[in-house]
Amino acid sequence: MIRRHPVVGAIALVVIGYLWIPILAVAVNSFNRSSLMVRWGGSTAHWYSLAFHDPNVRTGLITTLEIALGSTALSLVIAVSGSLWWRRAPARARAIYDALVYARIVLPEVVFATALFFLFLKAHFPLGILAIIIGHSVWNSAYAAVIIQARLTGLDPAIEEAAADLGATPWRVFRRVTFAALLPAIIASGLLTFTFSFDDVVTSYFLGGQSSSPLPLVLFGMIRFRITPEINAIGVMVMLFTVTLMGVAVAVFALMGSARRGRRGAFAEFYGQ
Amino acid sequence: MTGQTTVQLRQVEKRFGDLVAVRSVNLDVAAGEFFSIIGPSGCGKTTTLRLIAGFERPTGGVIEIVGRDVTDLPPYRRPVNTVFQSYALFPHLDVVENVAFGLREARTPRGELQRRVKDAISLVQLDGRERARPKQLSGGQQQRVALARALVNRPEVLLLDEPLGALDLKLRKEMQTQLKDLQREVGITFVYVTHDQEEAFSMSDRVAVMHQGLLEQVGEPEEVYRRPATPFVADFVGLANRLPGRLHEAASDGRYAVDIDGVGRRLAGGPPGLVAGDRVTVVIRPEDLHLEAAGALRSGVLASTSSVPATVVDVAFLGAHRTVRLTAGSLGQLVAVGRGQVTVSQDDKVSLSWADDDAWVVPAAADS
Repeated sequence: MIRRHPVVGAIALVVIGYLWIPILAVAVNSFNRSSLMVRWGGSTAHWYSLAFHDPNVRTGLITTLEIALGSTALSLVIAVSGSLWWRRAPARARAIYDALVYARIVLPEVVFATALFFLFLKAHFPLGILAIIIGHSVWNSAYAAVIIQARLTGLDPAIEEAAADLGATPWRVFRRVTFAALLPAIIASGLLTFTFSFDDVVTSYFLGGQSSSPLPLVLFGMIRFRITPEINAIGVMVMLFTVTLMGVAVAVFALMGSARRGRRGAFAEFYGQ
Repeated sequence: MTGQTTVQLRQVEKRFGDLVAVRSVNLDVAAGEFFSIIGPSGCGKTTTLRLIAGFERPTGGVIEIVGRDVTDLPPYRRPVNTVFQSYALFPHLDVVENVAFGLREARTPRGELQRRVKDAISLVQLDGRERARPKQLSGGQQQRVALARALVNRPEVLLLDEPLGALDLKLRKEMQTQLKDLQREVGITFVYVTHDQEEAFSMSDRVAVMHQGLLEQVGEPEEVYRRPATPFVADFVGLANRLPGRLHEAASDGRYAVDIDGVGRRLAGGPPGLVAGDRVTVVIRPEDLHLEAAGALRSGVLASTSSVPATVVDVAFLGAHRTVRLTAGSLGQLVAVGRGQVTVSQDDKVSLSWADDDAWVVPAAADS
């Protein structure tokens, strides 16, 4: 048993406080009646109503969701197919592939964003939602690839042969074994890429063009004029949305688990007696 | 045992680029037989198994299973199932779903599926572990899931690729007995690949010894041990004392008269077709070498005519028996397994003898 020094606990508290107090301040100020937020002016839900009915915020949110979903889907397709190729590739090809994946994680986002910006201009590819989706997928697909490859490395390369041996056609082998065994990693990387895409500013800023902006850019534009409790309210709602999303994911996992337990009940009839 | 042929390989060959993994192998495995393929690593035994399973396509020859040509069929259309060395269990499925996999692919009706899965799990004594994931099972339990997952489909042939390789010695011995019992119980043809000749001998009806892609000998374990066809088989299967010599003539009773270097002319059994003047090797198993203290009175019971002087180098006590290492002049190092009649110790002068029936001639290895 390791004894903890009291100072360690104190440092931990300070750090956690440092991280959470600003968020708490945002949450509190979102209810502040005083629009300058220099003092507490009594509580109100007015800012929430304002934010909720603000057309810029609404379209911004919809744009963000479109981008996040699109980028998640594109990243997963790239990461899954790339990883499956990687698994059986020769060692040298794997090393090159790995280097390309890590480069997309390590190199600054702004570098890719400018590069793509110039590329799209040269190629006369229109800036906008599709351009942002492609831009996000540059790094999102790399994060997804790392997670999925980690799972693949743990898989016995013989399981596909085993499935074929047990009568599964190539398509069934993929569906029942390869894809099924990868599913937890696919879901995990999907949630991660969705979240990364959801709050991205840099890539979206470079590739958004004149079209409607995603929510982070809407917020960015708003605070350049003035900081109001409405922005705090939006922040809180975004936070709630993200937390709800995670909650749904956890609930889905739990349901999958209990469904399995439910089937156990059915089999218990056979094995119990 | 002499029923119809279940697996038949005709002139089967497999090349990987320049490498010939399997060369013109002919093989017949009878229905209900426990058949083992043994050999050192890289000898082509696993490739042969993978050819039967359908994971590899032969570059030549024909493979038939229960009289049907399956040479060009993919694995999922062959009536065989495999137990993999790594088990290859599906990590995302529990024991029941692993075992049920093949039956689900075959669209087996629900009731029958549940009954057969249940029976298979009982057969390998995994009752109570139905809902465990592979990760939660021990190595031995995983091995039994792999066995149940294959057997539940009632294949014509069960292929086993070093299935006990990952287990520790004690569990290995237990599983050998269980496997043999299981095979008798289900009556399915087993083709078993291992590098461990002892393991193969203890379970198999017949064994095939493979070396550099060639089948060197196929036969019952005792036959392969007592009457090896080639020097490689003699060496690979158990311990062998090898005495070099030259064939003098074929005797009328099928035996040969051999001039053993430094010993003299002796009679020995051997495969047919050896020609006078051939360089040969006389193989004598350690347990067939008799030791007597030098100068002791000869009992006269032994059939051998004369004896060879030797010096004890070392005696190792191994519980049930003793292993004695000896030097015998130009014959070099020899090994005898002492049965306890003669107590010898280091540096003792002894005389060695053997019965003519225990000596076996093989052609001298090409490389020696």
